[in-house]
Amino acid sequence: MSDEEHHFESKADAGASKTYPQQAGTIRKNGYIVIKGRPCKVVEVSTSKTGKHGHAKCHFVAIDIFNGKKLEDIVPSSHNCDVPHVNRTDYQLIDISEDGFVSLLTENGNTKDDLRLPTDDNLLTQIKDGFAEGKDLVVSVMSAMGEEQICALKDIGPK
Amino acid sequence: MQGFPGAMPDAGQLQSTLIAIERACSSIQMHMNPAEAEKIIISLRQSTMPYHTCRFILENSKMPNARFQAAGAIGDAAIREWGMLTDEDKKGLILFCLHYTMEHASAANAYVQLKVSAVAAQLVKRGWFDFVEAEKINILLEVKQAILGIHGSDVQFAGINFLESLVSEFSPGTSTAMGLPKDFHDQCHLSMELNYLKEFYCWAQSAAANAVDRIVGGYASASEEKVCSKALHFMFQILNWNFQKSSSALDYSNNKSNLASSGIRHDVVQLRKFERSLVEPGPLWHDALLSSGHTLWLLNFYATLRQKNSSDVLWFDFPLAVSARQLILQLCSLTGTIFPSDNGEMHIKHLIQILSAIIDWVEPPNIVPGTLRSGRSESEMVDGFHALLSMATLTSTMLFDNLLRSLRPFGTIHLLSALTCEVVQAHASKNDDEQTWTSEGLDILLEIWTVLLGRTGNEKKLSAESIASASNLFNTVVESHLKAAAESAFEDDSDADYFHVSVSKRDETLYAYALIARASIETTATFLTKLFTERFALLSQHNERWDPTQTLEELYWLLLITGHVLTDPGEGETVLVPEAIQDGFAGVSDELQHPVVVLSWSIINFARQSLDPEMRKMYFSPRLMEAIIWFLARWVDTYLMPIDATKGHLGTSGHDEEQQQDSQPSKRFLLSFAGQNQGQIILDIIVRISTSTLTSYPGENELQAFTCRKLLVALVRRRHVCLHLVALESWRDLARAFANERSLFSMNSRLQRSLAETLVSAASSYKDLEISNQYVRDLMGPMTAHLVDISNRNDLKAVAQHADAMYMVSCLLERLRGASRATQPRTQKSIFEMGYAVMSALLTLLELYKNQSTVVYLILKFAVDFVEGELAFLNAKETSILVNFCLRLLQIYSSNNIGKISLSLSTSLQSEAQAEKYKDLRALLQLLTNICSKDLVDFSSDSNEVGSTDIAEVIYVGLHIVTPLISLELLKYPKLSCDYFALVSHLLEVYPEKVAQLNKESFAHIIRTLDFGFQHQDADIVDKCLRAVNALASYQYKEKTAGKEGLGANAMSSEESNGEFQESILRYFLRLLLQLLLFHDFRMELAGSAADALLPLLLCEQDMYQRLVQEFLDKQSNPAIKTRLASAFSALTSTNQLSSSLDRPNRFKFRKNLQIFLTETSGITSII
Repeated sequence: MSDEEHHFESKADAGASKTYPQQAGTIRKNGYIVIKGRPCKVVEVSTSKTGKHGHAKCHFVAIDIFNGKKLEDIVPSSHNCDVPHVNRTDYQLIDISEDGFVSLLTENGNTKDDLRLPTDDNLLTQIKDGFAEGKDLVVSVMSAMGEEQICALKDIGPK
Repeated sequence: MQGFPGAMPDAGQLQSTLIAIERACSSIQMHMNPAEAEKIIISLRQSTMPYHTCRFILENSKMPNARFQAAGAIGDAAIREWGMLTDEDKKGLILFCLHYTMEHASAANAYVQLKVSAVAAQLVKRGWFDFVEAEKINILLEVKQAILGIHGSDVQFAGINFLESLVSEFSPGTSTAMGLPKDFHDQCHLSMELNYLKEFYCWAQSAAANAVDRIVGGYASASEEKVCSKALHFMFQILNWNFQKSSSALDYSNNKSNLASSGIRHDVVQLRKFERSLVEPGPLWHDALLSSGHTLWLLNFYATLRQKNSSDVLWFDFPLAVSARQLILQLCSLTGTIFPSDNGEMHIKHLIQILSAIIDWVEPPNIVPGTLRSGRSESEMVDGFHALLSMATLTSTMLFDNLLRSLRPFGTIHLLSALTCEVVQAHASKNDDEQTWTSEGLDILLEIWTVLLGRTGNEKKLSAESIASASNLFNTVVESHLKAAAESAFEDDSDADYFHVSVSKRDETLYAYALIARASIETTATFLTKLFTERFALLSQHNERWDPTQTLEELYWLLLITGHVLTDPGEGETVLVPEAIQDGFAGVSDELQHPVVVLSWSIINFARQSLDPEMRKMYFSPRLMEAIIWFLARWVDTYLMPIDATKGHLGTSGHDEEQQQDSQPSKRFLLSFAGQNQGQIILDIIVRISTSTLTSYPGENELQAFTCRKLLVALVRRRHVCLHLVALESWRDLARAFANERSLFSMNSRLQRSLAETLVSAASSYKDLEISNQYVRDLMGPMTAHLVDISNRNDLKAVAQHADAMYMVSCLLERLRGASRATQPRTQKSIFEMGYAVMSALLTLLELYKNQSTVVYLILKFAVDFVEGELAFLNAKETSILVNFCLRLLQIYSSNNIGKISLSLSTSLQSEAQAEKYKDLRALLQLLTNICSKDLVDFSSDSNEVGSTDIAEVIYVGLHIVTPLISLELLKYPKLSCDYFALVSHLLEVYPEKVAQLNKESFAHIIRTLDFGFQHQDADIVDKCLRAVNALASYQYKEKTAGKEGLGANAMSSEESNGEFQESILRYFLRLLLQLLLFHDFRMELAGSAADALLPLLLCEQDMYQRLVQEFLDKQSNPAIKTRLASAFSALTSTNQLSSSLDRPNRFKFRKNLQIFLTETSGITSII
């Protein structure tokens, strides 16, 4: 296949669209989808037909990856759905500031200071406790459609 | 009170226990603090010698629940303390229970009496071999007198109740385990069958007979009717007994041949479906059931009652009517040596006798459904069908048909056909919702047809009348279903999984219809062609404004039924043209006139219309295409270049032709019309249709799945078909499109995997090895190149996370995976090249996509399939390349995932993340297991080469990497833990010497998981853990006796901070295992592996074992138990000349010892 055919030939992040159209029939469980303008993870797909001799349609049950709300959608399976670009980046945790922001070390040595701690108490304590114990923590930040959130935590241990 | 065990507590104590139990029972009922209440009741059940207390409660409590619990407590305690009770005590308890039920026979709350009689039955069984015969007879005599009605009908009822409990206690399926080995239960079963069962039957019969006279006379009381139906039900239960003795008692192999000529079948073992069985009580029962006129008596009784109550629509469901019919059905299913060897005469007479009675239940066919609609219960009709099914099972098809001829001017099959017509029509019309009887009735009727027509050879010969009836029936079936299809065409397809969920049920029905059709295939094939052509013509006549939906749905149904008529399902077998179709059509002399050929062509021509875009758009809906693809897949398997035909064509010698001329021409036409020449044309059409479903039906996953997984798979299944396939331009086009064009990327990625698998499979048809491999290279080369390209991009990091890039990578991975699954010896080389080419790309991608679980999973699964397909063929160098790749994969995965906690607001996302992790780990374990297999299966030529990779080494490195990822939490997933423990026990058994080399942490981790596995619910997993411990301990023992280090430091101590393994590991397991055996509800099926594990442990740690035994004994306060336990322990190690070796005979002896030990100790220790 020649290189020109790569349809994801788009430039890097800047100006790139936040979603990509993909045929509904090819979206599988555990994939991503945009429903009602929100980036979601598909937890269930079922297909049915419109009338016995009609065309197939897909019924998606999905969960908003940022706020955990459940959303549903029905799309004819030959139509395109928007699929969000979901990025996950690892950063080392440098500091937790008193006003609820974290300070993260990016790959090129800069810091990223615009991310809030999660509001959920449970998640908050996991991060805070780990940090307080002096562990070397790496946080994964999930970003999609202009939103960002800490989604995973890893103790890389003493180096 | 004579022989009541235990000391008598004082009155105050009795009263207070009574109150406590009553209070507990009522609080359970009201759901107030149930845990506390249960504790009180359990304490009663577990206390020593609670008999007096229980008796007091039984006799004095006003609360039925409390009495119920007291009865249960007597049973529990007596079974537990059986060894400590005297014979007098035992008898006393049994008689007490028995008398209690008799005295309270008329009391309310029958469940208490039932429980008491169940307890009595249990105790009788427990002591079955302890009592002398006279004692048993004494007890049973009392019951007999009760049943014969000396003490009135209530006591009669109680007596039958007791016998019912007794019989079910003695049947293996319903018995209580009582901690006794299977052997005991088997002996009880046999003893009951030989000595008592028939006698019980006769008692019940005379009880019923007494009541019957009064019932028929019309002056019976309600309780007498109750006794009668109870007695009949009990007789039915006895005939349900799983008779053992009789089946082997008489050898009828020598008279089998002449019996077969009579049409009575002896080879049948059971009635399929519907949970009913044939009754084979053996010759001893001849007098009771046959010669005494018992059957006739029962039939007459039912007929008289039926006539008397004919106006009462509810009567058919009364217990008396139901039990009588059940018993009749059971008698109808009699078979075996109970009938004398008189050429089946008596058996046939018996069947006709029953048939003459049950015919009233189902005749006349057109009236019965009508009366059912007017409110009569269908139970009698359904029972009548069941009786017909029994008869059909027991007789040859011809004899079955003739049974009715002495009573009616037509045969049984004619009646059956008329009945089926009625039920099918009623079923298909589905006017009212309450017609569940139609589906139940239809099920049974179709089962009868399947039994009658599914036979081979002479046994299914039909008379001309039967063939006409079958043809008639099939016409009715098709017409009513077509009507139903047309009516349902506009319904919304609510059950989306129509093709999956109810598919097996529907196929079963269609299969039965197909058998009926094949019985009269000469007319039905033409009939189907006619219907099909009519509808096909309708489509082409009409213009755009006409709505074809109804016709499409009719065509859909016709395709399904035609597929079933013309072909057999043959999952995984070589499919042949159905016998009936091969043998039929004797008069056909022209290939083009052969009805099956005509029918096949008309469907293929119809399917070909779908290639025209206009036609496709207007008429070929996805659903219709699904049916077409399904039909073609089955048709290809059966008719396209069938095996016999290729033989004829390939062999050019005259010998083959002679053979061909022998067979009748019609059969030859069937095998040759889709042979080499026509076959290629058809093959080409089918490939083009497949390609068009893949490209012209975007998003129709269901249809495309049928194409990829059924039709294309059927095309590449046989090599000689494949040979033609790969030569076709249309196939090459498909392969080219797959390799080089984008269009197929828009299919669901999972289907792309199947497609890749199928396309690669076709390579094996090339004769030349190099061409095969080149074919695969052409097909997969572009994929690997593309994947490598992606991984080498400069801007990869920025682009990779985009949805489109991820989608592309996923598709490519799925395709590679599909190709690896199709690995065959002929293509192994090129597939390995394919995998080798992407190895480094995959590692890059794994690192890059570490946070995208879907991609990670695909990479792991590719590795699993690749290793599975390739490993056995690889030489040393290639093996080490592959193994290194796998290790790198494991390392990267592990470094990215170890210690990672995912955080999420949503619990469902959290559990999704957990499930993904679990799937990954399963894939990793499968990978390791697959690598293991290199040691077992190795086809490579140079296995002795120097420098070959040590697989064991690799596995342990892998295990080092994987074990930290496996948490005890994850082991709760059954599949994962099954894989994990299978791997661990395999490793410990095969390479115990490597254990010593593991580092302390990993070793401790494995041991911890084993410890966890021991507490697992799943017996299979406990078994695997036992095997693992056995391997560990045996290794250690062998090494020690040889004076080596063995497990070394690992075994000696592991100073866990939490103090879990303070002692050495073997000692720890020794203690654990003993505790498991003594104090838990140990499952007897694990006794063998437990013995195997215990023996080496106790040989390794003799001192420890002695100490533990002493410890257990010291804990016993009850001297009687203590003595028994001590002797059981000493017998365990000293009897049977047990030696201190680990060879097979010695292990076997120890297994026996442990079994005895467990029987001896079970129960007494479980309450300590």
